[in-house]
Amino acid sequence: MDGMISKPKVQEGAWLWLLKVLFGLVIAVLIAVHFIVNHLVASGGLLTYQDVINYYKNPGVTTMEIAFLIFVVSHALMGTRSIILDLNPSEKILKFINWGMLILGSVAIIYGIWLVQVIAASR
Amino acid sequence: MENSPSSSKLIRWFDPRFRQIGTWAFILNRVTAIGLTVYLVLHLFMLGKLAQGPEAYDSFIALAKTPLIKFGELLVVAAGILHGTNGIRITLNSFGIAVRYQVQIFIIMLVLSLAGIAYFAYFMFFLA
Repeated sequence: MDGMISKPKVQEGAWLWLLKVLFGLVIAVLIAVHFIVNHLVASGGLLTYQDVINYYKNPGVTTMEIAFLIFVVSHALMGTRSIILDLNPSEKILKFINWGMLILGSVAIIYGIWLVQVIAASR
Repeated sequence: MENSPSSSKLIRWFDPRFRQIGTWAFILNRVTAIGLTVYLVLHLFMLGKLAQGPEAYDSFIALAKTPLIKFGELLVVAAGILHGTNGIRITLNSFGIAVRYQVQIFIIMLVLSLAGIAYFAYFMFFLA
């Protein structure tokens, strides 16, 4: 039975594992909000450029979307890392992957925040 | 060390023989995880069209309304629901909750997920 339960891998560290799990739960909640707000509250869905621009005038929306982005990007990277750990990378390769992921995640989040600001500033 | 991980055993991921239900749950979680990660990258790139102005975004939406892309989106929704429900079960089990009932919970979650996916399919192809 014990072998069936998810737990930190040898090189993963308990805190990173816990963060991955907790972010997963946060995403489960935020994705429901993301769907309900984007498809049901925004009447007719966000199917034109103008709809999206108007929708992003609401600061609650931009805050929610940026938070959602940060949680999803982090969870995706932590998950990808734990998949890579199954392939038993050497310390050297893992160090390279760690830095690569930190940079990739930062770029994705900065890009997303930039994009949200551009959209919010459009009319 | 027959069962120790090694990159040369990658091909074993794709061998369907001698698998238990827990292993299928693991495979389902991993395949959906990879699919969702690929989708995340595509999603962030395509939303970049919003920075290029109305024409770029609206022509992308026209593409997104074609049946093939809609089917792809349904796969993304299915992956999200399956990964989410399975993830909740894994989290509970990881903290020692309901470990004895993990198979039953997996099956219940699977049934709920299939119902949710069917609803989304109906919504996307017949209502929206």
